[in-house]
Amino acid sequence: MTITPVAETATGATQPPSVLRRLGRLMLSEYFVLVLCVAYVLAIAPFVPEILSWEVASNILSDMMPLLVVAIGQTFVLIIAGIDLSVTAIVSMSAVVGASVMTGTGGYLGDTAFAVPGAVLAMLFTGLVIGAINGFSVIRLNMPSFIVTLATRMFFAGAAVWYVTFHSTSSSIANLPESFAEFATGHLFGIPLTVIAAGLIAVVAHVVLSRTRFGRAVYAVGANPRAARVSGIPVERTILFCFLISGVCASVAATIYVSRMQTGSPIVGENILLDVIGAVVIGGTSLFGGKGKIVWTVFGVLFLLLLDTSMKLLGASLFAIYIIKGGVILLAALVDVARNRWLVGR
Amino acid sequence: MKIGSRALLLILQNAPVILFLVLLVVFGLMSDRFFAFNNFRNIIIQAAPIAILAIGMTFVLLTGQIDLSVGSSMYLTACVVALYMPDMPWPASLFAVIALGALIGAVNGFAVTRLGIVSFIVTLAMLFVLRGIGMWLSNTRTLMFPDQILTLNRATVLGIPSAIFAFLVVFLCAWALLTQTPFGRQVYAVGGDPDSARKAGLPVSRIVFLCFVLAGICAGIGGFVSITQIGAVGPKYGDQVEFAAIAAAVLGGVSLFGGRGSVGGTVFGAILIKTVQNGLNIINADPYVYPLVTAAIIFLAVAIDGTRTRIIERLERRTIRPLQAV
Repeated sequence: MTITPVAETATGATQPPSVLRRLGRLMLSEYFVLVLCVAYVLAIAPFVPEILSWEVASNILSDMMPLLVVAIGQTFVLIIAGIDLSVTAIVSMSAVVGASVMTGTGGYLGDTAFAVPGAVLAMLFTGLVIGAINGFSVIRLNMPSFIVTLATRMFFAGAAVWYVTFHSTSSSIANLPESFAEFATGHLFGIPLTVIAAGLIAVVAHVVLSRTRFGRAVYAVGANPRAARVSGIPVERTILFCFLISGVCASVAATIYVSRMQTGSPIVGENILLDVIGAVVIGGTSLFGGKGKIVWTVFGVLFLLLLDTSMKLLGASLFAIYIIKGGVILLAALVDVARNRWLVGR
Repeated sequence: MKIGSRALLLILQNAPVILFLVLLVVFGLMSDRFFAFNNFRNIIIQAAPIAILAIGMTFVLLTGQIDLSVGSSMYLTACVVALYMPDMPWPASLFAVIALGALIGAVNGFAVTRLGIVSFIVTLAMLFVLRGIGMWLSNTRTLMFPDQILTLNRATVLGIPSAIFAFLVVFLCAWALLTQTPFGRQVYAVGGDPDSARKAGLPVSRIVFLCFVLAGICAGIGGFVSITQIGAVGPKYGDQVEFAAIAAAVLGGVSLFGGRGSVGGTVFGAILIKTVQNGLNIINADPYVYPLVTAAIIFLAVAIDGTRTRIIERLERRTIRPLQAV
């Protein structure tokens, strides 16, 4: 039942492929969005040469990481034909819980050796718990994931703001340990730690989806849950795990945000929901389930970030960024429709 | 056992109503100001904008689509009224709002039915684009509205406050359209099973298109009612309203997968949400608790609905072999 993307076999291997065919093959290949990214950079470079500079590139890379991690979790949920709107609330809740554990002013483990590891564990646990609430509501209470996660999003976004009032007099929790900031600023072999962490998560997620039984189950459940059940796939457990993965990924993103901002704010990541879903879908993952890849998501996030950064470099105002972002999402969807029609027509 | 399950089913069928009654009793016991006629009038006035938006959303949801752009659409239409029609009489503004809403809905509908893009993506993109255009027109300033619009808030029609009147008109039109006309039946048919509807000769694309237009019109009217109430509009106006509208519809029993639900249910859902917020306000609850309680009630209502579906399935299934463990 696994829907694997059409493998590009060398049909025209005997004669040299024409330019048109080569272009067509590129359109259909899974690197299409990467090609779009490169084309976009080349097109925009004459206007903002800075985009090719090392500094801007590394900025894009580090901005990309939290978004990418959330998007990877979202990819799992979208492949099983669900949706997780609660990711932003998970980021917020994890951020304030983690900060309340490690803050030097009255934190649960503040000023002890366990402050940072304890905080990270608490954050991951928060993500796991909210993911479990989402997952169990979908599989046990028979609720559509859109509404479950809409409700948990409302609940935990509110709860995060409330939670801060018990731990701080201001609207966020500050005075975090210095050592935690090193996660955002530190490097290993010249590569930022956050990039290593996100890269690891991406690789693990990719391997899980494409090389394991669980991965195949995820695609099968998304493509046709009835058929998956009949063929003996534990549908419920697969769905639950996907929501757990999304929850944990969101809380990992929270660690990056908190470490970078050095405060636990309940509104951190408040506005990334539509970016996350937009990026995953631009990448080519289907909202109807059964189709999606981690590589696509990486390209989708990269593309959205390139767009954002280049607009800011161009000095475009917020409204222009909104309009262009919307236009690009629409364009990507149109191209996808055209690709699919062409695939069917061949 | 059988009578027991019947009774359970009866309770579950009417769960949202029972939930509503329980809330009324709880709030009534906690404050004697809750059961005042004025208070109920206020609840409906406060619920009117969201209820009107949610009525439009109902049409879109019934066809199995979704419209995330209504909040931004509200914002854009409000900007146009504040910037370009400061001296015009209010009926002209209302007409402009309806026309612009219909146009936005038509763009959504066109992209979904003719270009074949998933409605979630189309309206997500429109959410960005429309808000961007609104911010562009207004320079992201907070806009004030002229007096002839603000006085509408205190105006009454036949003794009914204007917001409630507008809400009743939209409700009755939508109800009549959905239950008394062939178009209404076709909406349900398309949502229930688009393929069968197409085979039966229904113009599926046109019906979906019209539902998006209706949602756009309702977004315009709902936005108009809401600006008479708040009087000023900032760049965050209407943000996340689409989720409130969807929550109201789903609370009232509208299925996100299409084909199931009613306008009455949606209105009930919108009023239920506002009743909760009003009740919390009256009993002087901590403002931080509002979203928590609202979310919990939406969750509860939908959880009951899900359980009901499962129980109905189980009762209707004729057991030939022993039931498998679920």
